[in-house]
Amino acid sequence: MHRHILTLAILGALIVAAALLAQLMGIRLYERIATTMFVSMILVLGLQVFMGNSGILSFAHIGFMGVGAYTSAVLSIPDRMKGMALPDLYPILENVQLSPYLTILIGGLVAALVAAALSYPLMRLSDAAAVITSFALLVVLHTVLTHWSAVTNGPRTLFGIPEATSLWLACGVALAALIGAMAFKESRAGQLLRASRDDEVAAAAIGVNIVKLRWVGFILAALFAGIGGALWGHFVTSFSPRAFYLKETFLILSMLVIGGANTVTGAVIGTLIVTFAYEALRSVEAGINEAGFMSQQVIGLTEIVLALAMIAVLSLRPGGLFPAREIGTLLTLKRKTGGKSP
Amino acid sequence: MIEVKDLHVRYGAVHAVRGVSFTVADGELVTLLGANGAGKSSSILCVAGAIKASGGQVMLDGQDVTSANPEAMLRKGMATVPETRDVFPDLTVDENLTLGAYARRGDRKGVAEDRQRMFEMFPRLAERREQAAGTLSGGEQQMLVIARALMSRPRVLLLDEPSLGLAPAIVDQIFEMIAELKAQKLTILLVEQNARKALQVADRAYVLRLGEIAGSGTAQEIASSTDLDALYLGG
Amino acid sequence: MDFAIQFIINVLSLGGAYALMALGLVLVYGILKLVNFAYGELIMVAGYTLHLVGGSPLPWLVMAAVAVVMAMVAGLATDYVAFRPVRAKSVTAVLITSFAFSTLLQNAALLFISPRPRSVPLPEIFSQSVMIAGMPTPMRDIITIVAAVVLLGLFAFLMQKTVLGIAMRAAATNFTMARMLGVPANLIISSAFAISGFLAGVVGILWIGRIGTVAPAIGLEPLLIAFIACVIGGMRSLQGAVLGGFILAFIDTTLNYTLSQDLLKFRDAFTFSLVILILLWRPEGLMKGPSSGQRT
Repeated sequence: MHRHILTLAILGALIVAAALLAQLMGIRLYERIATTMFVSMILVLGLQVFMGNSGILSFAHIGFMGVGAYTSAVLSIPDRMKGMALPDLYPILENVQLSPYLTILIGGLVAALVAAALSYPLMRLSDAAAVITSFALLVVLHTVLTHWSAVTNGPRTLFGIPEATSLWLACGVALAALIGAMAFKESRAGQLLRASRDDEVAAAAIGVNIVKLRWVGFILAALFAGIGGALWGHFVTSFSPRAFYLKETFLILSMLVIGGANTVTGAVIGTLIVTFAYEALRSVEAGINEAGFMSQQVIGLTEIVLALAMIAVLSLRPGGLFPAREIGTLLTLKRKTGGKSP
Repeated sequence: MIEVKDLHVRYGAVHAVRGVSFTVADGELVTLLGANGAGKSSSILCVAGAIKASGGQVMLDGQDVTSANPEAMLRKGMATVPETRDVFPDLTVDENLTLGAYARRGDRKGVAEDRQRMFEMFPRLAERREQAAGTLSGGEQQMLVIARALMSRPRVLLLDEPSLGLAPAIVDQIFEMIAELKAQKLTILLVEQNARKALQVADRAYVLRLGEIAGSGTAQEIASSTDLDALYLGG
Repeated sequence: MDFAIQFIINVLSLGGAYALMALGLVLVYGILKLVNFAYGELIMVAGYTLHLVGGSPLPWLVMAAVAVVMAMVAGLATDYVAFRPVRAKSVTAVLITSFAFSTLLQNAALLFISPRPRSVPLPEIFSQSVMIAGMPTPMRDIITIVAAVVLLGLFAFLMQKTVLGIAMRAAATNFTMARMLGVPANLIISSAFAISGFLAGVVGILWIGRIGTVAPAIGLEPLLIAFIACVIGGMRSLQGAVLGGFILAFIDTTLNYTLSQDLLKFRDAFTFSLVILILLWRPEGLMKGPSSGQRT
């Protein structure tokens, strides 16, 4: 038990340190980067809850981020903005204007509800069929967000979303997500789910209802994604459905995979490392563009490097940087074996 | 010809083969006997390169082939008939035989001759040459798998439970054929649960129990010193 | 009657293209039991190659051949970069690496060429029309149908009559056994990727011929189409993939003629919901593939 608390303490300290650092630097840009990073971390932790415990790759995750973001936006855009931002909105929603702090929660719950309603039968599938259905689910969610003009303003940018997400709110929610992911992993459901990942037949034989456990994991993941999406919406204040598709999926997946999908530590560390690398590469790109070395804008360099890093990590260390043990466990073991690495 | 030294095979936490050693000389027919789960099939698949050894050595003609892949083992002259009777069910009998000769596909004339020879040896297959292999009966499939293995003109044949699940009349037929192949000086490693039948054709035998060698000797010695019925039960 | 002929030509030309896309995807899936997410980018590579050689004085057919060869090279590169290093490790890992490779290729196009669509050279004939049953029919539809028939015939010959084709079919049902007969695993896998690239290259030229330009994200739609067609046709059956391509073309064309503009926007949502339903009902796809199959 105490090694889990150690893990939480170390990872929590890292998160708070990142927030403090960003604030103490006093540069607006760093604060923005840190806030975005916490949103990513919430999403990555959510994906870890499902993927890490069930062992099934899910592409649908970002779709639920979109559901959360749009739900929270529609419920919180001020009355006077609604006519402009969402000209085709259903009359019943026209006069709804709730506090963003409430709608962020609602966004998460709606994403979880949508996941619960759609995904139960999908949880029977494994391997390629599971991956293709989750990919198909992403396409379905994306298509709906792109074309349901009444509540999403269609493929156009939705604007007028009240700003509500501060650095410390994002940081706080990220801490909550950390505790949530850890609690699920060590709960009975999480442990059984991981047992089923390692041996599906044996787990079924001792009476584990794998489908239901996966379902619970999936709903929880969607809750995280929905809240993360809503937080992000109230941070950037305008977005379009394009923000919730393959590019974002790739980024979140790279964070989880490089860190190690099987551990909460991997999710947190992966997010930190990839965010740092991403921003560093972005500034290199920006530097090149400003210096005007190239005849045209340099874009895509960041993604190329990330993709290569992902392939390299998976080839050399398929489980990511933290493939099996949480950081607390690693440190405890190290102490017991007299400093030798486990 | 084949020399296996201190072989170990693990499947995750299961330690299926624990330090097995045996040899097969040129032109010899050696059989591995034992109950289900004694480690016979794992040993033979490991020799064939289909599964990886977790320890020990497999030598072929004095050469270390422990980590060779299955296609390399075939090129070295070793053909395998696995226990699972793996015909390619969607391919015709003819196509199955074509694949058996994959490694010598340049030798068209020789392959055509061998195909004819197989059809003479197994007339049932000739009748069904255009049929999908999945539609054959169990006995016919076993004949096809053996014929397919012979199409590569192997120097060594690994046979894993060739009589498993077949009717007694067909089992007799299969063993007659094994005796005939032995008479043609083919080196054979035979894994069998049907110990009586196997000992009738074998030169030497090894008895496996729980992944270890529990006894070895000439076929006669083993036949007289071992309670053959107990072998089935793993006693 | 005229309408019926138009409809049939539409279904056949669209279906021909879809069938080729699906075939390229299912060929690799059948053998490795792994989805190649970078498949759409092979089409992109063919398109950009055509764009880049566009300024040269070469005859168009030579340029097209170069484009197809580059798609094959990209297919082989997918194997070496995304599949081979992680193949033995885990299914999830390969799916992620192929997704990463897809992102890599797309962004390479963004970085080295341009985020904006680029024109590709096309021969006159692609923009001409002929009168069939009193209606002008684009020549490119006819070309697509002819190309699909020729390629499907060629492919069937390869798979049925050559030793390599037989070995590939065998490897799709039982890879280990095929290897125990001396069929080299790497050769089979590389061949599958090369053929997959070949099909993607040809279909890519036909596909890009419809719009005349190539952009970094051009591969997504063909990939999605190939997905659906494969799922309809049974994930492992080559014939099924072809049939699935034509069925999808039939559904798409019918929806195009019948749905109102408002609903047509949701076409992808409909077809992908259909995919999910089919997979739920039959995880192996609608039509049955080869009897067994295990991963390597």
